[in-house]
Amino acid sequence: MMEKMSEENIEDVRVLEAQIENLQAEVAALQRQQQDNHKDITFHLRGHIQDAMSYVCGQKQAGEKEKVLSKLTEEVEELEEDLKRQTQMNGISLNSCTTKTLQSSGRQLVQQLCVSGHCSELVFQVEFQLSEVKKGQRSERTISDLNVVMDTSDLQNFSSFLSGVEESRDLLLFFRTLRTFSDRCDDRRRTFQHFQEKYPSVVSLPGGCRSAVMTLNHPELPGCVLFVHWSVEVSREGRVTPKIELLTKIPEKALQLFPSQAVSGAAEAFQSLLRILGPEAAVESVIMAVSLSQDT
Amino acid sequence: MDGASTKGVLSHLSLLEVQARSRKTQPQQPSRVKELKAKAEALMTQRDQLKAEIETHKSLQKLRASMDKQRTHEEEEEEMAEDSDNSQLLRLMARHTQLKDLLHAHDIIGGYNIIKTRKGKGLCISLTTAYNGVYLENYNLEMDLKPTLRISRDNIPPFIPLKSLAEQSNMQTDIRTLLDPLSQHLNAFAARKQQFKLVKELHKSVQVMESNALCSLLVLMFTVPREKTAVLCSLEYTDHTRCLPTRVHFECEDKGLPDSPQWKKNGSLLMETPVHKALITMKKMGDIV
Repeated sequence: MMEKMSEENIEDVRVLEAQIENLQAEVAALQRQQQDNHKDITFHLRGHIQDAMSYVCGQKQAGEKEKVLSKLTEEVEELEEDLKRQTQMNGISLNSCTTKTLQSSGRQLVQQLCVSGHCSELVFQVEFQLSEVKKGQRSERTISDLNVVMDTSDLQNFSSFLSGVEESRDLLLFFRTLRTFSDRCDDRRRTFQHFQEKYPSVVSLPGGCRSAVMTLNHPELPGCVLFVHWSVEVSREGRVTPKIELLTKIPEKALQLFPSQAVSGAAEAFQSLLRILGPEAAVESVIMAVSLSQDT
Repeated sequence: MDGASTKGVLSHLSLLEVQARSRKTQPQQPSRVKELKAKAEALMTQRDQLKAEIETHKSLQKLRASMDKQRTHEEEEEEMAEDSDNSQLLRLMARHTQLKDLLHAHDIIGGYNIIKTRKGKGLCISLTTAYNGVYLENYNLEMDLKPTLRISRDNIPPFIPLKSLAEQSNMQTDIRTLLDPLSQHLNAFAARKQQFKLVKELHKSVQVMESNALCSLLVLMFTVPREKTAVLCSLEYTDHTRCLPTRVHFECEDKGLPDSPQWKKNGSLLMETPVHKALITMKKMGDIV
């Protein structure tokens, strides 16, 4: 009787041991797959999102759902508020940020980030590698392999700055400069639009309100045109400088009739006016002059 | 010894032996089976848990990808097939990760990190500095919101003109009119400081004679190869929003050297290139040791 029992048990043990070996292999494979998944999307599994994950995976009671849902909703609402505040504060709207973990050990974390968004009308996409190395109490963050994509078809002076910034990996300089550049372009657009609305018969914007050129001419003198050329230049160093010039297109006959400096020296005179009055007031004086307005 | 009693002892001993042997093999087998069964069940639970997590992860990835696309192309929110009782929860989870990533991105690109403090009565603003891909110091401003916005504490170095920047700004209506110039000053300072540090680390043959806390002045001593003449080079950075010098001056016993075409070129190089990089070029050209 004892012999028979020991035979059965030996069989059971063998079957169970085989089953266990298979299960262990399955679990190991699943764990590897999970590790790989975590590289593609970083879920910061702490706090309420961890609770939610546990609920969804059937680890919690059905009754817990409401609690988990409300806690997570609250946290998501807070994060939405934070994002709104950050967006407004930074003057930059981000559409997406995807992170891929390339390397993650105890002391070093290397990630590949792709961030896209826009600053006013300027659309960008940046891709770079971010490494974080723990050095004692602090951790040192470094950027490498920076790649910036922007539609620079009408941003000629921006492209030399962009290639410089990719070389020097100055991600923060890129964004500071982008924002300043965008602010100066917005200044120009607002000023141009303001004058077009105020003096519609004299001012026109042939390239639209975002272009660099505003033309001024009196409707009764179609041959005489003044151009206000307002460019926003960006140096390789990232310095943003608005440059405003007055150009004249006056027929030879008119110039012959009025040989005085007032007409031919208009461009230089405008530069002095700029220095004294500033851009808006200087442009307005020119507009007043062109419109032959009685009020000065 | 008595033959009969020996036999009795021996047989008693062998009986005990058989009993002991059977105890070892037989009663332990059921508990070994129990043990293995428990282990197998634990592994099955672990496997099922992992499978569930991986499935959830996959759903979250899909949701997140569609959310990212939606934001980028400003599409209408996609109608999700209500196939799972958990779909609302999953959407929230995906949204959570998206928001966290976007906030992280704002931080990484050098955004002003703003935290409300003292139950909404105050603000703490953090400014990041970086140069050449290396993140450097963070600086903080603590502000009171009432009665008007004003700076209560800061750890900005004293040689950065915080007070005058605040006065010149429009910070009550637009705080960026303070933060942008301040960030410009801080980043330029951090860049110069880092350049000076790299000169000391990478160019041991160049002697740093003088520098100051604001890093607006750097005096270096070069040695010209062959003749072994010394050239004193002063770099002045009078525009504190820039990290390139506004003036470069050479002094040498050989009065003609600073005016030579070679050194005029070096002067321009130092005006246009960060000093630690310019020195690499000058060494390559054989102008300095």
